[in-house]
Amino acid sequence: MKLKRLTRLSLLTGASLIMFIIELRFPDILPIPVKLGLANIVTVYAVYRYTAAETTMMLFARIVLGALFSSNLFALIYSFSGAVLCLVGMLLIRKIVPVRFLWLCSIIGAVLHNIGQMAAAVAVTRSLSVLAYLPLLICAGVIAGAFTGICAQLMINRTGKIENSETD
Amino acid sequence: MTRSVKVLIAVAAVIFAVSAVLTFIFFRDRKTDGESVMVEILQDNKVIYTLDLAKEEDRTFRIESADGGWNDVTIEDGQISITDADCSDRTCVKTGRLRSEYVPIICLPHKLVIRYADGEDE
Repeated sequence: MKLKRLTRLSLLTGASLIMFIIELRFPDILPIPVKLGLANIVTVYAVYRYTAAETTMMLFARIVLGALFSSNLFALIYSFSGAVLCLVGMLLIRKIVPVRFLWLCSIIGAVLHNIGQMAAAVAVTRSLSVLAYLPLLICAGVIAGAFTGICAQLMINRTGKIENSETD
Repeated sequence: MTRSVKVLIAVAAVIFAVSAVLTFIFFRDRKTDGESVMVEILQDNKVIYTLDLAKEEDRTFRIESADGGWNDVTIEDGQISITDADCSDRTCVKTGRLRSEYVPIICLPHKLVIRYADGEDE
């Protein structure tokens, strides 16, 4: 990997980590365990600008560091199961969804993320009654995914020219 | 806009609509009818308490978890809630009182589930 690319990836990891930690400080307005997932802005951006391997490395570094910084290692299993499903889904559909419709990719990714977390919750509690939260989490995923998707869309429109003009 | 994008947007819209309807149905308050209001508390998918909220007196008790954590369960005016816990996210406390027939109170770190039991079987 070229040094320039590595540097950019590190920068993105740092940016998403900061977003993740800032979001932890947001007050809980809703009585339900849903988040906006601001760090996902960077993930969706990376899905469209970097290779699958690079995006995966960046995301996993962010998740592990995020869990360490927030001292919430218990949540790692949910983060991972959600992230894996979300990432695989987004990497698959980036082939058929053009960058103009990046927000759509983000919505699908966010929904898959919540489904992955739900699956982990069912596995941990070994109780299917947890699934009653699934429709709510899907709705929340669509809304949060649309928000982060639009943010990533704005970001990619602005950085597109810079990235394309520089050859690594 | 290619055809596959249109299909994906349609699928996303349908899933959102269905989920919204299901959320609305699931989160409706349970109808309180009959004399007994059976609630069960599960830990690691094993029933550790079965309570009749209609008969229980107001009290708070602690449920210890295998890993040393705890949840304080409060019964008050025939309603049950988790009022305190030593986990980091305290989602179960924020959930508040058990209202819906379908949506349980869940504490993921301690694998605790509080839900309405089917009174008809009793």
